[in-house]
Amino acid sequence: MKEKSVEKVVEDGVRFLSKIFPQKTYLYFPLLSAALVWAIRRTKEWKEKIFSWKIWPDPDLVKVKPDEFIINFYKSNPDLCRAYRDEIEKKDLKTLREAFRCLYPILGLEDPFLFALFQKELESNEYNKIVDEFDAKVSLARNDIDAAEGKARLLEGLKTFAEEIVSFGTDLLSQANAQKAIAELIEKQLKKKNE
Amino acid sequence: MRKKTIFLCLVLFAFSISSCVSHLKEAKLYYVNGEKLSRVYKTEKALASFKRALKEAELAVAKHPSAQAYMLKGMAELNLELWEKAEESFIAAFSFGFEKGQEWAEQVSLFGLASSLQELGLVDSAFKIYTYLLNKSRFKSVTVLAAQRYTHIALKETLQEEGRERQKLLNKLLKTAEKLADKDLSCGYYHYLLSQVLSHLLEYKKSFEEAIIAKELGLPKEEIFRDNDLQIVFCYQKLKEKLSSEKREEFLSVYLLWVKKWNWPNSETPDWKKR
Repeated sequence: MKEKSVEKVVEDGVRFLSKIFPQKTYLYFPLLSAALVWAIRRTKEWKEKIFSWKIWPDPDLVKVKPDEFIINFYKSNPDLCRAYRDEIEKKDLKTLREAFRCLYPILGLEDPFLFALFQKELESNEYNKIVDEFDAKVSLARNDIDAAEGKARLLEGLKTFAEEIVSFGTDLLSQANAQKAIAELIEKQLKKKNE
Repeated sequence: MRKKTIFLCLVLFAFSISSCVSHLKEAKLYYVNGEKLSRVYKTEKALASFKRALKEAELAVAKHPSAQAYMLKGMAELNLELWEKAEESFIAAFSFGFEKGQEWAEQVSLFGLASSLQELGLVDSAFKIYTYLLNKSRFKSVTVLAAQRYTHIALKETLQEEGRERQKLLNKLLKTAEKLADKDLSCGYYHYLLSQVLSHLLEYKKSFEEAIIAKELGLPKEEIFRDNDLQIVFCYQKLKEKLSSEKREEFLSVYLLWVKKWNWPNSETPDWKKR
């Protein structure tokens, strides 16, 4: 049997998602990316992770982190440190804590779905935009997925995608490289689809 | 004629008993089914099942009210986010009293009651129940859930205070967290909570140690696992700044052994981090 290429697997994944979410192309990358990362990290739990939609960590946990931890989070990331220099200097914990609620799950805990959902803003270091749009964008994604018909079919499709991608070897697919490659391939596939 | 009437009464009595037993049974079946569907993300079907469970529980309550029937009614309402009704049902369950051997049902009902109170904004009342469950519950799943809610509410309260008042509240919370970890040394989650509290108290060495114990014992969710890893890195950075050169060397040599054991690429990057 002829083995599939990574490109073919991504193409199949995009084709599959376009049947379930024909108008919601913005969900393709977050869903495929989350399926891939969780399949690599925790093979047994990935289903739960992808569909839990309780954007993690549980909001209470993020809301009660110590002040020092929050300041350290900003200081440890040079781009964040630059973007929030004034607030760090003034120890404006009200602003820092509010932004932390949105940024920590993405940049600290690296939720693959959120990371992919805000990929463009992250590439251009638009952290304020992430904070401003976080609730609306996450809520829209959650509603669109909840409204999808045949969720069991979606789950199976993502599982097939994840298994096929992982068969190329988890060592080979380090998170950053795999996500970057997948992002490029998805973009290519979406362009092809729109032509 | 008299015999016939007695017989009819007995049949009706038996029927009413069997029908309310069956309503309770049906309510349980629909509730369990709802939980199962919910776990596989069939949200709509799960909600439909919880609605059926609620209907059956309501019938059971109407025909033969009992603590269990009210508990099931409350649990179904909790899942349907009918907080006020859930609260009423749990209170009704307690007014009936639980029979011997139903301690688990009593504690689940208490946790359910606290959750609905919290959702309704009655945080102080919910907090009292979580405190009670922490001290009295013999069921680990209930205690862990109560510990999580208790700690979050307590930490939120401390963050609203300053200076001595904050310190006082944190010390009180620390005692509870220590008690929990002592009671069940093998529960990684309790050590994680303890590490978080110690971090608020700026006790980075102890926080670091508790986070390592939590990591080694295992944590229930990936997000908590990752948060705990970041707590280890945070404490490491703080200790590196604070310790004297002699102590720092000693600490670093031990820390690097852990880093090697966990297969982290370096001392500040957990293995799941993008590189």
